Amino acid sequence: MMSLRTDLPLGGDSASKFIPWLVAIMVFLGILSVSGMTVFDSILSGWSRSVTGTVTVQIPALPASTEEDANEARTARALDALTVLPNVESARALTDEEIDALLAPWLGEGAAAGNLPLPDLIDVSLSDDSADAIENVKAAVAAVVPDAIIDDHRRWFEHLIDLTEGFRTLTIGVATVVTLALALTIIYATRASLTEFKEVISVLHFIGAKDMYVASQFAKRTLVAATKGCAGGLTAGLIALIIIGVLASNVESGFLPDINLGIAFWLTSPLVALMAAGLAMVTAYLTVLSTLRSMI
Amino acid sequence: MSQAPAVTLNNVSLRYEEGPDVLTGLNLTLQQGAFHFLTGPSGAGKTSLLKLLYLDQRPTNGVVHLFGTNVTAAARGELPAIRRKVGVVFQEFRLLDHLSTFDNVALPLRVAGLSEPEIKSNVTELLSWVGLEDYMDASPPILSGGQKQRVAIARAVVNRPRLILADEPTGNVDDQIALRLMQLFIELNKLGSTIVIATHSEQLVQRFGFPRLTLANGNLTELPPLSPHPDAKGPVVERTAP
Repeated sequence: MMSLRTDLPLGGDSASKFIPWLVAIMVFLGILSVSGMTVFDSILSGWSRSVTGTVTVQIPALPASTEEDANEARTARALDALTVLPNVESARALTDEEIDALLAPWLGEGAAAGNLPLPDLIDVSLSDDSADAIENVKAAVAAVVPDAIIDDHRRWFEHLIDLTEGFRTLTIGVATVVTLALALTIIYATRASLTEFKEVISVLHFIGAKDMYVASQFAKRTLVAATKGCAGGLTAGLIALIIIGVLASNVESGFLPDINLGIAFWLTSPLVALMAAGLAMVTAYLTVLSTLRSMI
Repeated sequence: MSQAPAVTLNNVSLRYEEGPDVLTGLNLTLQQGAFHFLTGPSGAGKTSLLKLLYLDQRPTNGVVHLFGTNVTAAARGELPAIRRKVGVVFQEFRLLDHLSTFDNVALPLRVAGLSEPEIKSNVTELLSWVGLEDYMDASPPILSGGQKQRVAIARAVVNRPRLILADEPTGNVDDQIALRLMQLFIELNKLGSTIVIATHSEQLVQRFGFPRLTLANGNLTELPPLSPHPDAKGPVVERTAP
């Protein structure tokens, strides 16, 4: 087991006091960054699953003066045209209740949309959602209902991908900045400690201590201080995520897909904390070695 | 095969930054097992010469050899092994105030990687020898000047270094303790350590009668003992500065 005994008066110096706080903040931000990346991946994946291999056919409502069953007839023609296509697995017209449910986030629960001139919607599942296959679907529907609109979700989904990729890049950037900030601050703190303990280090050198002996003492001090900070940062980060999770669960389900951070995230979070402590320790060790090289 | 001298200085000069030479063209050979007093007026360069020998300074000119190794040209990584052969008693003690007396004395042994049982045995025995067995847990700030000096000496000699450099090691202790400390140096000398004691005390030099190295105006001169002493080795200073 590694001995924590030290010949340097480490522990009472200013660096030892602020390193735990610094590391706690960094770990907190790191965990939020990792959770952000995980959430964006989860959202993207959820949306991707829900729209891949599907198209939605909109049959616009005819003017109110038209015969009552004309809209139903147009929808039936479109369904007939779709079901004979080889790449169509299923085609189903949404019921009025389902359309009401889709509109509920905007119009409120129980707000019947029956009096509004809403289009009929046909949910189509495809075995082949290549561009050519979708063109076939469009042509078949247009032949029977010329003003029908085919939405393959691609344009909408591409914008979402761009947005989530942007957020993902941003969180990676934040994580990188946090890592660099941690390393730079440890370097600064270690150098400050080296200056503070110059006399002690000088005595250690005169009695034959190698640079590695001195560096290992700083590394141990930093590891202990960083571990305290990691524990605090990890706890604060997880509490924050639980609070965000509770708040997110209150949002209407129609706006957000189900977000599940997954077991991988909960295993990764402690790893982030351990990596932060390890980074702090290695940074302190290398800083001491590099700084002592300038001494006789 | 003959042993390399403990110390060899070849035309060694030292100056600090742009100041004048503190030491000028020193030539000196100290054979292993020699015992010398280093004397001279204040400001003559005694501490500077000791700094060269415990590798706190590199000479401005010339070459310093310790135990046959050219330490002037030695790589940084070679210095710890050489320094472990050198015990230093600093004039200002340079004890670590945050450590106990025991831990201060144990430092060289810990740095050398000895086991804790070995360290405890050696340190306890030595602290008893210097009369500090009741102060093992005390920290330096609560010790008297004389007690600090004894801790500093114990730290310098605990790993039986081949070269012991002591700057005014009896300056803060009474006669009885001074005699006891000198006896410790003499015993270590008998075991083979080379000893150089910088002192202003004519009384000490006269009483123990070892050869003298006298620094004045940056130059080093060998002088014979003020009185013969049976523990003094034969002439070991082969060359002196002109």
